[in-house]
Amino acid sequence: MNEVVLDCMGEACPVPLIKAQNKLKELALGDLLIVQIDHSCAMKNVPEWARKEGYNVEVEEVDDGEWEVIIEKTK
Amino acid sequence: MSENETVSSIQRSPRSRASTRKPKVNQIPFGVLLLLITIGMGIMLNIQSSNLALFFITGICFGFILQKSRFCFTASMRDPYLTGSTSVTRMVLVAFAITTIGFTAIKYGYLQSGLPIPGMGYVVPISFATIIGAFLFGIGMVIAGGCASGTLMRVGEGFTMQILSLIFFVIGSLWAAHDFEWWKFHVISKGKPIFLPDIFGWFGAVIVQLLIILFLYIAAEKYQKARTIKDQQNN
Repeated sequence: MNEVVLDCMGEACPVPLIKAQNKLKELALGDLLIVQIDHSCAMKNVPEWARKEGYNVEVEEVDDGEWEVIIEKTK
Repeated sequence: MSENETVSSIQRSPRSRASTRKPKVNQIPFGVLLLLITIGMGIMLNIQSSNLALFFITGICFGFILQKSRFCFTASMRDPYLTGSTSVTRMVLVAFAITTIGFTAIKYGYLQSGLPIPGMGYVVPISFATIIGAFLFGIGMVIAGGCASGTLMRVGEGFTMQILSLIFFVIGSLWAAHDFEWWKFHVISKGKPIFLPDIFGWFGAVIVQLLIILFLYIAAEKYQKARTIKDQQNN
């Protein structure tokens, strides 16, 4: 099981989502993708998209205004 | 975000689990201080003019709701395409429906008491300027990572990149104001302004507009369902 960290600090809204979408395609089943973001908008649309796709998602606020979205590629 | 708790905990290797995490500073004292400053400013503005205080409070409330609800007009137009989710789109439609009723009530109230209707200067014809403007705005807001309200909100949140957006947002607005006369004379004034209550009557206009919004709402919901099924099949 791999853990891939995707650094999206300072990236504005649609960019973290697109990066996460592309990165997740490359991952193998069971891998974890950790998207680091500091844009509040991405905090909403990245988890929403991943949940809609049916992956396990967790959001963690690692610091004030910095989040890690953990996506488990379950299928 | 009650959904977070229901999702089963994902196991991560302990090494990566926020070993770099700094202890968080308690923000409550800052919040209390800010609230006191806000109230103080409100009282000070109220001494000058009660209108100013009202604008100040409305602005603060608007910003607060915008930030807490993650309300984003950009996302409402972009997410249906990118993620297939229309939750923000529907949120905007609900907001439109509420403002439709509110603005009609205000305008009708003025009409009833024989006063000039406020905000009629914003009833302008649809023209090519609308299309060109919308297209340019669309490009700009995707690059800048937010529309006007979103940019302002995130500058307040401390997202430094969008301070840059804000600077160019001001420059762009000034430029637009400079060129506006040209557009007004050559493009906008060619059309005929349409004010719905003139055509359908006041009551009819509200009904027509709400029906259109309802139709868009249902369409948005149907679209999301269809997209979810399609996306999950593709995986």
